[in-house]
Amino acid sequence: MTENYAAVLHGANDVRIEKIPVPEINDDEVLIKIDCVGICGSDVKLYSTGTCGADVIDKPIVIGHEGAGTVVKVGDKVSSLRAGDRVAIEPTQPCRSCELCKRGKYNLCVEPRYCSSMGAPGNLCRYYKHVADFCHKLPDNLSMEEGAAVQPLAIAIHACNRAKITLGSKIVILGAGPIGILCAMAAKAMGASKIILTDVVQSRLDAALELGADNVLLVRREYTDEEVVEKIVKLLGDHPDVSIDACGYGSAQRVALLVTKTAGLVLVVGIADKTVELPLSQALLREVDVVGSFRIMSTYQPALAAVSSGAIPLDQFITHRFPLNKTKEALDLAKSGAAMKILIHVQN
Amino acid sequence: LQIGSKVKNLTVGDRMAIEPGVPCRYCEFCKTGRYHLCPDMIFCATPPADGNLVRYYKHAADFCFKLPDHVTMEEGALLEPLAVGIHACKRGGVSAGHVVLVLGAGPIGLLTMLTAKAFGAHKVLIIDILQSRLDFAKSLGADYTLLIGKDSNEAELVRKIHALLEGHPDVSFDVSGAQTTIRLALLATKSGGVAVLVGMGAPEQTVPLAGALSREVDIRGIFRYVNDYPTALAMVASGKINVKPLVTHHFSIEESLEAYEVARQGAGIKVMIHVQPRDTNNPQKF
Repeated sequence: MTENYAAVLHGANDVRIEKIPVPEINDDEVLIKIDCVGICGSDVKLYSTGTCGADVIDKPIVIGHEGAGTVVKVGDKVSSLRAGDRVAIEPTQPCRSCELCKRGKYNLCVEPRYCSSMGAPGNLCRYYKHVADFCHKLPDNLSMEEGAAVQPLAIAIHACNRAKITLGSKIVILGAGPIGILCAMAAKAMGASKIILTDVVQSRLDAALELGADNVLLVRREYTDEEVVEKIVKLLGDHPDVSIDACGYGSAQRVALLVTKTAGLVLVVGIADKTVELPLSQALLREVDVVGSFRIMSTYQPALAAVSSGAIPLDQFITHRFPLNKTKEALDLAKSGAAMKILIHVQN
Repeated sequence: LQIGSKVKNLTVGDRMAIEPGVPCRYCEFCKTGRYHLCPDMIFCATPPADGNLVRYYKHAADFCFKLPDHVTMEEGALLEPLAVGIHACKRGGVSAGHVVLVLGAGPIGLLTMLTAKAFGAHKVLIIDILQSRLDFAKSLGADYTLLIGKDSNEAELVRKIHALLEGHPDVSFDVSGAQTTIRLALLATKSGGVAVLVGMGAPEQTVPLAGALSREVDIRGIFRYVNDYPTALAMVASGKINVKPLVTHHFSIEESLEAYEVARQGAGIKVMIHVQPRDTNNPQKF
């Protein structure tokens, strides 16, 4: 067995490539030789601040939660996978016994052991172990890179499920970062008839148009909420049935609440500040529902199937590649916002 | 008194409760079962439409519901606010075994609580800033009550709510519209649960939204009611919900101004204005 190297976060802006032990697997686990791992906005937040959402890191952890690789060893009780199988790793190992797990909402589990949070190492390393049933076999026509990139797609599909997107839905997505773009692609595959993306950065909107948006809106700092609403309605031809906040900014949430059609829905997938001031009343009286989407709930299979069938192509979505020893550079690039999807290849 | 030539559901002499909003029936909302959101809704006492605090009044027959003999006129009138409570509970998905939090013990809070219990809620905690309202709520069947004050600490209140309920509520109802209680609804509700915001508050609210949404607590407002009058009537007629205790004051139509003054001061719960002398049309006296 060769050596295991990992990208370990020691504190804010302090990531080091270190040798760590190859893990021993339990009966229900598999050992995976990781091929590549994507990095995303939450990795950037963790890297820059040593926190992400409610999590604070107080000892060194391996980062990375968008991994794909090849199974090299299986536990005694594992029959779903064999050595040699290529898998996409769903980055959670929930408890299976809490009320939420038993109701199918394992994304809300009280002890989810989500990759790269306290108590749960990430998979930006050479050898990683995981419970077998959260490792999903890649269809033959998917590359390892696509296998890694399905993680954020699974997040977007869960978000679109929560938003109840259906045939004919008219949608505005506020925020044209990777998640916003994946939501647009998922929404289209789910039957949305018209999709507008908004952002404050023109280059993101250009990418959005390439990747499937019907139209885009550059939001300028000086626009009032009402002006943004008016522009969205003009572009969409109607008020949206669903507005997706894919950036987490209060300003976007305000617009979402004002622009959404009566009896429509506002979905928040972006990670936002703790407190926000919002024009809630008018939305509530119009029965505009406000729902959140957290991580992934049984959407890996649909994601893999959609990429395999071509319904959601990921090839243009992946834009940059780095080797493991250039993880810091990869994170810095991610931080700049200039990349759509960065993958780190760990075996070189 | 009189029925139009096409009316089939009522006959002269029928006693009825009147659902006060008649929608257009043609728009997208009307045709998808959400007539309460009809942009051309004609609603009693919403200008330019007149209300029905009057001796003779006409209305679309299908928005009039026949009262069985044992249901009094007062109860028929109370179907309106009860329908709000029912719509709220349906929006919240209240069901058997649920743990429910109601923030506000005014008439709508009380009716929401009664409905939640009738829908099978196992425990209901009701909260208010007035002890007298909490005492009354207790007499109507609240399992737990909690008095909150201006100086109450938010985190401490959330802890108290969870301690009293021995868990987190599946569904929370804010029935006050105050920012304080809206915030409590978002903080206290169980992950994967629902916060129904019934109370009509200030246009802008500062709320801890991210925490609730990242726990997939759904936030739903309500507007009036839709297809809830039949449910309300069934619950009252069968005795599953008793709304009679909510009527605290009776006035004649000539005393209307005094009636409004009493209501304005928040002195009672429900004030009845009798257009005909009391019990004229109640086979069973109130």
